[in-house]
Amino acid sequence: MRKVAVLGSLLALGTAGGILLASRPSTAQQGPAAPDSLAAPALAAGDTAALPGPRQPIFFRHDIHAGQFKINCQYCHYSVGVASEPGIPSVETCMGCHLVIAGSDSGGRAEIRKLRQFWNDRNNPDAPRLEWVRIHTLARHAHFPHMRHIKAMGPAACGTCHGDVSRMPQVWEVNNVNNMGFCIDCHLARGVSRDCFVCHY
Amino acid sequence: MAHRGTPPDDHLAPPAPSEGLDRRRFLTVLGVSGAGAAALSGCSTDKVEKLIPYLVQSEDQVPGLPTVYASTCTECAAGCGLHVVTREARAVKLEGNPDHPVNRGTLCARGQAGLQGLYNPGRLRGPMARTAEGRHEPITWDDAMARLAERLRAPGGAVAALSGAGEGTFADLLTAWVAALGGQTVRWEPFGHEALRAANRRVFGLDELPAHDFAAARHIVSFGADFLETWLAPVEQQRGFAEAHGFRDGQMAKCVYVGPRRSLTGLNADEWLATAPGTEAAVALAMAQVILAERSGWPSDASALRPLLAEHTPERAAERSGIEAERIRQLAREFASAQPSLAVAGGIAGQHRAAIEVCAAVNILNYVAGNVGTTVRFGARLQAGDGYAGLQALQSAMDAGRVGVVLVHETNPVYALPRAAGFAAAFAKVPFKVSTASVYDETAAACDLILPAHHALERWDDLRPRAGVHSLMQPVMEPVYDTRHPGDVLLQTARAVGGPLAAFTAPTFEAHLRAAWGEVARRRGAADAQAFWREALRRGGVFEEAPVTPVRLAAGAGASGATPALDGDGPLTLVAYPSPMLTDGRGANRPWLLENPDPVTKITWQSWIELHPDTARTLDVREGEHLQLTSPHGTVTAPVYVYGGVRRDVVAVPLGLGHTEYGEFAAGRGVNALDLLGGADGNGFLPYCSTRVVAAKVRGYTKLAKTEGNPRQLGRGIVEAMPVALAARGLTVKEAYEAMGHPHHELNPESELEAIEGWHQAQVEKQKFGAYAEEHPKWGLAVDLSRCTGCSACVTACYAENNIPWVGEEEVTRGREMSWMRIERYWEGDEDGAPPEARFIPVMCQHCDNAPCEPVCPVYASYHTPDGLNGQVYNRCVGTRYCGNNCPYKVRYFNWFAYAKQAFPEPMNLQLNPEVTVRARGVMEKCTFCVQRIRAAQHHARLEDRPVRDGEIVTACAQACPSGALTFGDVKNPDSRLVATLANPRAYHVFEEINVRPAVTYLAKVYHGGEA
Repeated sequence: MRKVAVLGSLLALGTAGGILLASRPSTAQQGPAAPDSLAAPALAAGDTAALPGPRQPIFFRHDIHAGQFKINCQYCHYSVGVASEPGIPSVETCMGCHLVIAGSDSGGRAEIRKLRQFWNDRNNPDAPRLEWVRIHTLARHAHFPHMRHIKAMGPAACGTCHGDVSRMPQVWEVNNVNNMGFCIDCHLARGVSRDCFVCHY
Repeated sequence: MAHRGTPPDDHLAPPAPSEGLDRRRFLTVLGVSGAGAAALSGCSTDKVEKLIPYLVQSEDQVPGLPTVYASTCTECAAGCGLHVVTREARAVKLEGNPDHPVNRGTLCARGQAGLQGLYNPGRLRGPMARTAEGRHEPITWDDAMARLAERLRAPGGAVAALSGAGEGTFADLLTAWVAALGGQTVRWEPFGHEALRAANRRVFGLDELPAHDFAAARHIVSFGADFLETWLAPVEQQRGFAEAHGFRDGQMAKCVYVGPRRSLTGLNADEWLATAPGTEAAVALAMAQVILAERSGWPSDASALRPLLAEHTPERAAERSGIEAERIRQLAREFASAQPSLAVAGGIAGQHRAAIEVCAAVNILNYVAGNVGTTVRFGARLQAGDGYAGLQALQSAMDAGRVGVVLVHETNPVYALPRAAGFAAAFAKVPFKVSTASVYDETAAACDLILPAHHALERWDDLRPRAGVHSLMQPVMEPVYDTRHPGDVLLQTARAVGGPLAAFTAPTFEAHLRAAWGEVARRRGAADAQAFWREALRRGGVFEEAPVTPVRLAAGAGASGATPALDGDGPLTLVAYPSPMLTDGRGANRPWLLENPDPVTKITWQSWIELHPDTARTLDVREGEHLQLTSPHGTVTAPVYVYGGVRRDVVAVPLGLGHTEYGEFAAGRGVNALDLLGGADGNGFLPYCSTRVVAAKVRGYTKLAKTEGNPRQLGRGIVEAMPVALAARGLTVKEAYEAMGHPHHELNPESELEAIEGWHQAQVEKQKFGAYAEEHPKWGLAVDLSRCTGCSACVTACYAENNIPWVGEEEVTRGREMSWMRIERYWEGDEDGAPPEARFIPVMCQHCDNAPCEPVCPVYASYHTPDGLNGQVYNRCVGTRYCGNNCPYKVRYFNWFAYAKQAFPEPMNLQLNPEVTVRARGVMEKCTFCVQRIRAAQHHARLEDRPVRDGEIVTACAQACPSGALTFGDVKNPDSRLVATLANPRAYHVFEEINVRPAVTYLAKVYHGGEA
């Protein structure tokens, strides 16, 4: 009986892993589903499950913001050019536009209403917080100074690691940033430092 | 009670195989983590991390970049300026404010450990009140404020306040607030310099503390004043001492220490005169007598002192003090011929019954030597408080039942006064006692209501530590716990009580402070008060030169030089001295200070009793064996440390431990030597050094948690030193050896030199390959041992910067301390009889070019970087410890257990520097030359398209050093300050003969004496 249970759970887990693996896009840089036109497709929050990448508390559409409207990455990720951390835009930054922009379809409007709720609750310490699911987490023993990479490769270099988010309705991890080979390949190709102590300290 | 329990005893034990983990669970766990790894495909954590954005972006916070706020240190009365480095809105490091006149950008170990006061796990979570059963239970702030207001409406006696806060707007408010209620505020600090003030009153007619210019002095005599540790403003004095006593341009000042115990200051002096306790005055008066008799140039009115000094001949002083008359005469001549010179009295000499006489005698000595007005400057009015006499008056009022409500702020008298002084008993008679302690200390435990205050880094405030310095404090982060600004408590209570308090109308203390500063701006004629405030806040305050008040001898100037009668009749005199790390005990809840070894004995975490070797032999005790001291007031038992730096008739015990409360790190640790002392004896201060004790060996042994290996150099030439005469001739260490007639100091024989040259050639060849062929800087560090005093500020700076975990007493006794940077103290001289000389040397990773640790690492975790660092890659390290075994300097530290888990309990983890990896169990770690600072400077320079400037990179140790002994820089930059330092003939490498080619260069210490 015990053995059966163990085997069963192992099988189930294995299957789950397999499904996850299969549904996960390849580590190539081009995304699958997004069409080539700049107009992002109309999607509702209900569609997110079919999209790659973790589901976020607000269905924020990088394909609309960075793709269709061509907003600079650094408009929101404001510290990427000056600091190690790229900066997560504050709710205030979102509201800078969404105070007046309410969305063009019902799905979008619903998401923007969620955003406005977080903003309206800003003085209420008991209100739920906006908690984005982190997609790229670099191991603690490695240091990645974003600003050095932006300085060297220009402000549009984000896609080198993060993939073309302007075509992603929902962002997923295109490249495994914790795979050191991924870093080293690039450093080799560009002839820049491969010294351990540059990143690991 | 919000009292954290101690961690379970087995918290350091390696994890035992879990009994609960049967095969099924094991497989389940394996399966889940396997699937998790597949799903997320990475070696990183499987846990989903959340990113929580700001709702409103703070203008002065950029994630990933530090934001620095100017503030003021409150760890002692000196009032040093701070630069508080914050990351993502939490304070991670304290550094000195370069604009601040007191500390000029550096900070001592205690100041830096202020962070562990902010993040102390023993801090109270919120207000508490005593229940009928006598326990303290949490209450709400509304309830607490209501209780206070209700009491104040009908206090049932006088209202009084006892405050340890320095002079400033809060102290003014508190005084005025209590005065409005018809009460009195007593400002009291332990070691309050009462004797010095009394002596200044007697000799110069001025009741104030002067500033001392150590930097200008060419000859310094300290009568018991530990000016490098705890006396007045240690950071400022250390900077001045290093300026004067550091060897430069062929000369250095001489320093002599007079007193019964050779402290850290004493060990930095060139000579120690071991006077009998209480006889320092006789020596000072004899010196003055010699100067008046033999020399000219003293102020004209000093001749009035002739009759007074006539009887104080060196011979008479010799009789009392045990110092030869000829030596006193010679010292007086040296002292008077060096212009200007400086004599200071305090510390041990300022704490015994004859202390006023000693300080008065030293005043006279300074006066006849012409130092008053030059190196001793009145007018600076260093803040002092009301002294012990003020506290005694309050105590007798409490004892008589005249006090109905007492408010205790930033002081802990129940601990810091001897039990025999009877404070606790008098305090208990007050019906309603209120404390603003942020940690549950002994005094808070005796209070009825505890209103925990914001830490100094969480609040608005200001301090006026001396004339001309008005230093601001600003909140650098949100309060860690539900605490409140005591100023807000006063103002809110005033609103609730009304009546006499109705005049206090400011809505918050911040508004009150701004109004007070508006007044400051008006007085200074600032056109725009807003701009004045912003600029003051940016700089850390407003600073100007203190005025110098000219002084003359007062009519009654004089000193008796009498030896005091002591308390009790034991054979040994007790010297209870403030610990350099813990001072009066306020540092005892900060692990950085507990684990930073005492600079003299190198003992951590423990109490000890210092005995002269001869006395120890007589009593038949050896190091670690327990000794019981008995005075008329109590007994204390502690392990013995045998130290030649105390007189045979003296027994010395550091203060600071023996707390009964004060958080998990302090409570129950060590002994409180105050238990041996009596109360005041009419002089207006506590005599810490006037009790005779009987010592008896008792059963018991405690292994002392010392961090030293062998206390002697054994001819290894680790700390090289040369007499000033030879250094002035520009001799190298080797030449100095030969000049002193020592056998030829040959580093390597001919055959070895050949091999070394061959190795060097091979290295040059190697440098043609790969990244090593490119142009890189080569980082190096120079340490001037003639400036280093061994104060250990750098050690705490290193702990704070590099997330170094403390390991605790038990692990230190096993030799497992993690101090990447340590100060070695080596004894010199005869082991028996002669007083010991000490040589201090900071030892950190030497970043050898030919590092022995590198070739033995099987996984290349230890390797050489192209920019000349000895890298240690934690994620590669598998913990063989081969590197540590092969390191000749013992600077590699193995993380035996997950020390970080124990060392950074909530909320101490908030202090961790995000730029530095928190090391896991099983890796070797060591000094990195603060590579995170090197990289940050390189990033910054790259963004500005320029090379890194010399001086842009400052390691944490060099930044903190009050003596300016450390210089960091690029060896390849010919214009760098480092290269200029390396050209010094005193430069040498430790263990040069083993040819490891260290990147750390030491400059030999220079001493007076031995000029044969």
